[in-house]
Amino acid sequence: MAASIAAVGCGAVDPPRVPGGNAERGRATIERLECGACHVIPGVRGVRSHVGPPLDHFRQRAYLAGRFANTPEVLVRWLVDPPRMKPDTAMPAVGLTETEARDIAAYLYGLE
Amino acid sequence: MARDDDARRREQGKFHALLVATGAIGLVIVGALVGGVVLLSGTVSTAATKQHFLLTHRLLDAGLHFSVRESADDIEAPPLDDPALVGRGLACYDQHCAQCHGAPGVAPGAAALGMLPIPTSLAHSAREWRAEWLYYVTRKGVRMTGMPAWEYRLSDTDLWATVAFLKVLPTLSPADYAARSAGATACGQRETLPSSATEAVGPTLLRQYACHSCHVIEGVVGPETYAGPPLRDWARRAYIAGVLPNTRENLERWIRDPQQVSPGTLMPDLDVPAEHARAMARYLFSHAPPVDAPKGPT
Repeated sequence: MAASIAAVGCGAVDPPRVPGGNAERGRATIERLECGACHVIPGVRGVRSHVGPPLDHFRQRAYLAGRFANTPEVLVRWLVDPPRMKPDTAMPAVGLTETEARDIAAYLYGLE
Repeated sequence: MARDDDARRREQGKFHALLVATGAIGLVIVGALVGGVVLLSGTVSTAATKQHFLLTHRLLDAGLHFSVRESADDIEAPPLDDPALVGRGLACYDQHCAQCHGAPGVAPGAAALGMLPIPTSLAHSAREWRAEWLYYVTRKGVRMTGMPAWEYRLSDTDLWATVAFLKVLPTLSPADYAARSAGATACGQRETLPSSATEAVGPTLLRQYACHSCHVIEGVVGPETYAGPPLRDWARRAYIAGVLPNTRENLERWIRDPQQVSPGTLMPDLDVPAEHARAMARYLFSHAPPVDAPKGPT
């Protein structure tokens, strides 16, 4: 019972779909690029740090960078080039291709 | 023989006590199970259009009454008949109370009409309740009723002024109220910290500025919302809002004026006084070791 009470609200709506995104490849890309150097990301091996916000419950996050609606298209654009969307952000453009960004987005939206 | 009888009686007594205890525990378990099943079945209505059972309403009302009486026991009202105080109270009432409770000849606002429980007419409460009780409820609010705590919004003087006005309210005609509220001076400014700025007030302040309506915060019980990022392990964070180095001073600045730090951010200006921002920042920084410990995979 405790478990079902704790799970209330989760999974009530379908997670956002990222066309062309592959969550498993996304996880591998996150590990290869060491996104954990700045973020705590559940399910990802390697370094982890608190330079940026932790990314748990990512599907439930309403906004990105405190100013953009958290939708697949916006997230992909953000991952490819954060300073283009928010010039003073501490998050750098790490040279992701659009496909890599889609994969990462797919992985992040799997974090309930 | 008599001794045998005594022993038998004692044995029987023990047996009965055991029976009663087992029965009581059994009842509690069955009660919890039934309650759990009812809760999980989803049949308990949360609709504000559906009225309470009469018994439920009466019981909750009685509980409120006893609780307020007990909590307000050591409060002593100052003299409340100063016309200036009453006038100031009217301004506070008009600004903050009438929208839900209505006023002589003034209907409550749209939001209040749909509330359950309904905000009561204070013409009734003012007559039936002691000034200290009115003060306590105004200051502390009533949980799960929609009555907010005004402690962090109004100064103590304004709280008492409101009570002073409440005592006059039942004597006013609609014309009296309209005339008086037209000439009312503004409700005063809130004071700074209600008590000494200790760490204990951090979580209270974070709640009183509704921080937990968007953020998950350690030590603050609230909805699990992720409108903003969760604020756990705050001391380890390198940046605020992705732009500002995370120091206590910067955090205070951010809390007080987010739009100035990062124009266009979703984080609103909550009109936080410096002292309150300081207490909140101190609390957030006290809740995680500042150094990142190496961790294995999750």
